[in-house]
Amino acid sequence: MTAHRNLGFVAAAATLLAAAPLSAIFERWTWLIQAAIVVAVVAGAAALSRLARAPLWGQVLAMLTGLTLALTWVFPGGTEFFAFVPTPATFAHFGDLLSASLSDMRSYGVQVPDVDSLLFLAVLGIGAVAVVVDVLTVGLRRPALAGLPMLAIYSVPVAVYVDSVPATPFVVGACGYLWLLVTDNVDRVRRFGRRFTGEGRDVDVWEASPLAAAGRRLAVVGVVLAVALPLAVPGMTGGLLNAVGDGTGTGNGRPGQGGSPGRIDLFAALSGQLNQSEVTELVKVTTNEPAPFYLRFGVADELLPTGFRVRVPSGKPANRNLPDPTERGGRGVTQQRYEASVEVSKNLTMPLLPVYAEPVKTEDLSGNWLYDANRQIVFSNRENSRGKRYSFDYVRSTFSPAALRAAPSQPADDPVLAQQTVTPSVREVQKLVDQLVKGRTNDYDKVRAIYDYFSVENGFTYSLSTRSGTSGDDITNFLNTKVGFCQQYAAAMAWLVRSAGIPARVAFGFTNGSNSGDGTYVLTNKNLHAWTEVHFGGIGWVPFDATPAASVQGSVRSAWAPDTDAPEDVTPLPGSTAAPGGVDPSAGADDPDRLDKDADQGLAVGDGGPTRQSPVWPWWVGGALALLALLAVPALRRSALRRRRRARASVPAATTMAAVPGQRGEAREIVVGVDAERARADAHAAWDELLDTLVDFHVRVDLTETPRTTAERLTRETLAEDAAAVTGIRLLGRAEERARYARDPLTGEELHPALRSVRGALAARANRRTRLLAALLPPSVLLRWRTALTERSTRLVTTTGQVRQRLLRWNPRRLLAGRPAR
Amino acid sequence: MTQQTWDEVGGLLPHDEFRAASEAIVANIEQVIEGKTATVRLALAVLLAEGHLLIEDVPGVGKTKLAKALARSIDCSVRRIQFTPDLLPSDVTGVSVYNQETHDFEFRPGAVFANLVVGDEINRASPKTQSALLECMEERQVTVDGVTYQLQTPFMVIATQNPIEMEGTYPLPEAQRDRFTARIAMGYPDPGAELAMLDGHGATDPLHELRPVSDAATVRRLIGHVRQVHVADAVKQYAIDLVTATREAPDLRLGASPRATLQLLRTARAVAALEGRDYVLPDDLQALAVPVLAHRIIPTADAQLARRTTDAIVAELVHRLPLPHDRKRSPYDTRPPAPNNGRGPYEPRRP
Repeated sequence: MTAHRNLGFVAAAATLLAAAPLSAIFERWTWLIQAAIVVAVVAGAAALSRLARAPLWGQVLAMLTGLTLALTWVFPGGTEFFAFVPTPATFAHFGDLLSASLSDMRSYGVQVPDVDSLLFLAVLGIGAVAVVVDVLTVGLRRPALAGLPMLAIYSVPVAVYVDSVPATPFVVGACGYLWLLVTDNVDRVRRFGRRFTGEGRDVDVWEASPLAAAGRRLAVVGVVLAVALPLAVPGMTGGLLNAVGDGTGTGNGRPGQGGSPGRIDLFAALSGQLNQSEVTELVKVTTNEPAPFYLRFGVADELLPTGFRVRVPSGKPANRNLPDPTERGGRGVTQQRYEASVEVSKNLTMPLLPVYAEPVKTEDLSGNWLYDANRQIVFSNRENSRGKRYSFDYVRSTFSPAALRAAPSQPADDPVLAQQTVTPSVREVQKLVDQLVKGRTNDYDKVRAIYDYFSVENGFTYSLSTRSGTSGDDITNFLNTKVGFCQQYAAAMAWLVRSAGIPARVAFGFTNGSNSGDGTYVLTNKNLHAWTEVHFGGIGWVPFDATPAASVQGSVRSAWAPDTDAPEDVTPLPGSTAAPGGVDPSAGADDPDRLDKDADQGLAVGDGGPTRQSPVWPWWVGGALALLALLAVPALRRSALRRRRRARASVPAATTMAAVPGQRGEAREIVVGVDAERARADAHAAWDELLDTLVDFHVRVDLTETPRTTAERLTRETLAEDAAAVTGIRLLGRAEERARYARDPLTGEELHPALRSVRGALAARANRRTRLLAALLPPSVLLRWRTALTERSTRLVTTTGQVRQRLLRWNPRRLLAGRPAR
Repeated sequence: MTQQTWDEVGGLLPHDEFRAASEAIVANIEQVIEGKTATVRLALAVLLAEGHLLIEDVPGVGKTKLAKALARSIDCSVRRIQFTPDLLPSDVTGVSVYNQETHDFEFRPGAVFANLVVGDEINRASPKTQSALLECMEERQVTVDGVTYQLQTPFMVIATQNPIEMEGTYPLPEAQRDRFTARIAMGYPDPGAELAMLDGHGATDPLHELRPVSDAATVRRLIGHVRQVHVADAVKQYAIDLVTATREAPDLRLGASPRATLQLLRTARAVAALEGRDYVLPDDLQALAVPVLAHRIIPTADAQLARRTTDAIVAELVHRLPLPHDRKRSPYDTRPPAPNNGRGPYEPRRP
């Protein structure tokens, strides 16, 4: 029974761990506390019922009762007895919560705040899973099946996040599942009554059974394969890599590159797309507006010290009635209603839809697409834009400078003002702004002063090859270097306008692409653009594009924000005019270092990495050369070795020999020490060279043989016909033998010619393949490397074993078993 | 009986002198034993290594003849003991008898008081008698009635035994076997040698015509020469490796003793000197491993059941043991210096 109680506890804990993925859905952790309470009550009820030896159906009943009581206590309807005994009214309350949760699910984007209905749904689900897992694990003893209900929990965030799901919660859940399996199997093994020890030696209680080692290794290999294999398969890497990369976005609204509209770093996506050398068609838009302003899809309106960020949007379904901007129309504001239809290509995948500002009616869009009236963007938490076709009506507002000039400044307590002018303080920027807006009385003049500041006259130039980023430092850099592209222009202007106390934000979208004449524009990644929008009291958001028009393909200028770089005499038409085909000279700049790897994550455009148009053959040639060089290393090593040995041997050895009278009048040859050492070294060198040569020519080398035996064997088996070689090998053997074992080494003999003759004889005897290999890939060098590698790995294994042995002293199981460390 | 000390005997002989003396002895013995040059030289090497020789073979292959030929070739005192079951220790070592004239006990030296002692059929004597040889063989002295008598130099026991017929014999105890430097087998002569034997031995025993070609003093000088033969550290290490291998071999219940190491190296010196070298080679040790080590070791019951002789086991060990690498490392040798002389401890192979 102890084992059962233990197993039930593990089942409950595993259920809670498996619920970890829900953390990606809720903003706060309230759900976890409530789920823990409910699961604990369920587990307690199960344990009590088992203590009473209830049959399986009794256990299920007990658990369901526990679940109901706990839910009643956690989500009180106000009519319970003693706060936890439910009444019919309580169930009605639960029903209300459930139906409310259905509508809330639709209206809230992730991550959702603590809403009672959604919390109830989550806790109910986790509690039900706890019941099922307990029944499967303890009642039916099929813990493997318990993985299915656990997986059901994981499927919730999968359904919400279309593109990528954070991986860490899944790992946590998987750990819980593995824990469950392990506990069950340990329990199963314990039923044998005795532990198997495998080797037959005495295995302590704290020690892992050697028999289990194979299982552990298999499990590790299995898990590693299961994780590594999908990573290797192209196309499946996005989610996991992202999640690992950005820490699975626990912060709310932090711009990651996940699938939710609030999690896209539009800036990174933009710079990445603009830097692609390949042109990809993204959107085709048809409109009856003669010269439309930019198609837009995103807004970054949260300004942090690290730069502009995308807030999590919120809104109403886009297929219902949208707010009508004509209500805001005033004097000097012209508003005209147009129609447009958009065809998004398969290369553009994002949870946002490009529309013209401001849409009033959409068609062909499901209820999953929501419209954020404040930001004027269409987004979805469930779908993405890939391959979408839709049409919409929109109202285009144009403003006269006079009307803007007349617009009143917003009162200080205006919520828009409060939210959109939050600006981190950067002293340099503030100084610049103060200088620019000095003497300007109304908002429009201030904005124009700032807008005009970003002109070529002031030294600003367009270049894609700058570091992207919109943090305070980046803006300061841009203001100093005055080199940048649209995102820096847009962000810098928005920053400056905000610093002047006027609400501003950065909008993302497309410039007007190539017009086929009938109002149809084909927009590519080269048309991606960012600009500034400034809020005027009583009028709304007014776009300003500070980027030099000449540098941006399809740029459009308006009456209230004329091209600052254009000659003075060209008066922009009222309304808007398209700057004809200004080609961005640096759009396709070859600068591979700048290619941002993260670019594709938010906006999955095109088919992956950028392709360079530069010739490929130098790479092939370089690779082939490198390969050849690599292959030549063994041969070079061998020849260097031989040369060094020969250099030693060619120095005349034993020049000083003297005969001194021995004890009984005989003469003994005395070799002077240094020369003896040299003669020894020469003999050893020659012998080493001989052995290497033997290895090269595939002649057996026996470590148990003495030099004499080796020489005799070679004479007998290999070199029998060649008299010079026989003499040579005998000489080498004798020299090595004397060098090793005798008082005085052999001197006065030329070892090198002997070596050469032996080598020649061996080469003559070998076949062509052996000769070729000996010259190109000498087996002796390879053998030496292999030996070194083996030795090193052996040492590594030994060290690992020792460390492991040492660590085992502190094995918790051993400490628990109460045995002192040996 | 004063003997030369080793200092008086001196060091290395001139090469020619040593060669002449040793070759003369070998040639003399070969007049009697045809076609067994290696065996004869080994016997001589044992003599020069100051060891004792155990000749073990089937009857009739010339064991006793070899022992006697060696003894006769050297002009020194030779005694022969026929080991029989009723032989007493005092017959070997000597005994004190009462002399009526002097009214005193007088020591009568036994058979071991000679330069060469030929013990025939040594395993036929009782263990009591065999044990009488223990002290004299190792310590070259005899203690009788509390008085210790030094034996002469050179002193060598040449014993023969028959391994086939074990009835009524007492196998040599391990302690006794360990005192024999080498055990050699005669082996059958090849057909040519046997023909020559028929011709030579047909009428008379050539043993009778054998004349000494050397004397004890010469042998002492030869021994002195052998003692000076150079043994490199690598060779010493190899000897130790070899002996250690027998101690660790899974087939062996008892390995070789440190005395075996000592005698192996001594014999190797003698063999090297006989071959005209003043340094010992590992080849010498390899050649001597079976004669010097095989009779001292005891195989396990498993090995005995598998009919593995100790000779085969030692030969296999020699074949498997790598040479030690302790020579000075040359600067262009790229291998890292390995601990323990370039090889790990001997690891018996398991199936």
